[in-house]
Amino acid sequence: MTLQSQTSDLLPGFDHAAFDSNAVFRVLLDAMSRPGCIYDLPVSIATPDGLNASATATLLAMADMDTTIWLSTSCMTKAANDHLKFHCGCPISDDVAQADFAVARIDDDLSFITRLSMGNAEYPDQSATLILMVDDITNAPAMKLTGPGIKDSHDLAIKNLPASFHTWRAENHHMFPCGVDVIFASLTQISALSRTTRIEVI
Amino acid sequence: MEQTVNYSADGATAYNFAYLDEQTKRMIRRALLKAVAIPGYQVPFAGREMPMPYGWGTGGVQVTAAVIGPNDTLKVIDQGADDTTNAVSIRQFFAKTANVATTEKTAEASIIQTRHRIPEKELREDQVLVYQVPIPEPLRFLEPRETETRKMHALEEYGLMHVKLYEDIARHGHIATTYAYPVMVDDRYVMDPSPTPKFDNPKMNDMAALQLFGAGREKRIYALPPYTKVKSLDFEDHPFEVQTWKDECGMCGARDSYLDEVILDDQGNRMFVCSDTDYCSERQEAGHRGPQHHDQPLGKAAREKAAE
Repeated sequence: MTLQSQTSDLLPGFDHAAFDSNAVFRVLLDAMSRPGCIYDLPVSIATPDGLNASATATLLAMADMDTTIWLSTSCMTKAANDHLKFHCGCPISDDVAQADFAVARIDDDLSFITRLSMGNAEYPDQSATLILMVDDITNAPAMKLTGPGIKDSHDLAIKNLPASFHTWRAENHHMFPCGVDVIFASLTQISALSRTTRIEVI
Repeated sequence: MEQTVNYSADGATAYNFAYLDEQTKRMIRRALLKAVAIPGYQVPFAGREMPMPYGWGTGGVQVTAAVIGPNDTLKVIDQGADDTTNAVSIRQFFAKTANVATTEKTAEASIIQTRHRIPEKELREDQVLVYQVPIPEPLRFLEPRETETRKMHALEEYGLMHVKLYEDIARHGHIATTYAYPVMVDDRYVMDPSPTPKFDNPKMNDMAALQLFGAGREKRIYALPPYTKVKSLDFEDHPFEVQTWKDECGMCGARDSYLDEVILDDQGNRMFVCSDTDYCSERQEAGHRGPQHHDQPLGKAAREKAAE
């Protein structure tokens, strides 16, 4: 039957909704409150084409019918679309300005990031969060991070991070308290940049 | 999707893990991520009714419920004490609905929910401190309209708060605010540290632990990431100072902790004891003694006098 053939392609979500989403959230909370620290993804999870495990886990833990997702062209596969619609029940928009969570790969055209919502001066929390799927996150000294959540400074290196990202990020930081927060998601690891974080490119 | 956890002996009731449903926890978690990204800014959230009245820590309980996992160890204090009604009932609430380990030892806890105190013992990076907040808006008693206070925060217009502190000086000769003493977070947002005594304000600055604030009735969440600059508002000629006591703790002899005054009789006798019960008992176990401790001469005399 039609219904069966549709659902049989679906991948499972979290093994245990309450415990796994809590474990993923705790990693995200630690990552966002300690920018530049690198955390291991605490769960193993089935991953649809177009997304990686960390990005999938982040979306399953954080997104639902109250959050609009935007996926870049390379992430917007039928499998990813079906997976998020089924497990999160979230609206998926093709207008990046509407996104609460925007998902892209590091080698995508990142020109969309300037159109992400930054919130406004009275409600800076009404901003988007960028989930950037990356190949490798290390503590190599490529960026020197300072700001709230960081004792002295942290080093962070994201493989293939383009210069245009840093230009955008510097403007983003100047808009504080408005701004976009960034979650870097590799296959197995998560790190974040809060809008408060000052970046010195080394 | 939802999984129920049934821990009660009779099997009559079943809750989702940590009482709240998963969608509510996600909503609170999203607010928490924004709160740590904008230190000191109050994020509105869809606060739920909890099985306890407003004023009993519904905000803190919702934050704890969203954060707590099965491997956490929870400590709850009310005015520093682990054994008061509010602390005991919240600790039991999570022992029942999340089946988590609980403790009264500050060092053993991974999450500490607090009403109006910060533990004396220095907190670590792997700990989370959750505050119960009654009125999250530091400007509320100066400007009752939410639309206006929101604009004031947006424009960083905090002159009114300084006028209030100045009026304290004009009237009393010093800044008379002793609790809920306003702080400036990371040079941007003025924040209410909840009704903790100003004695605790310096501990908030550069703290290694993550600090989360939940206000249930007012439906606001805010946060301080670790190692964040938190400065108590003051003036160059009237610098911020914390309370000091002439007395020591009657039980453990501490001179560096926040002391509660205890009235002993109607003859004007009184004693002071540490408000942080875990700190006090740890010191007593380590052999420290204050003058009113039961194995001290003064304590013994008092006991004999009472027996007569």
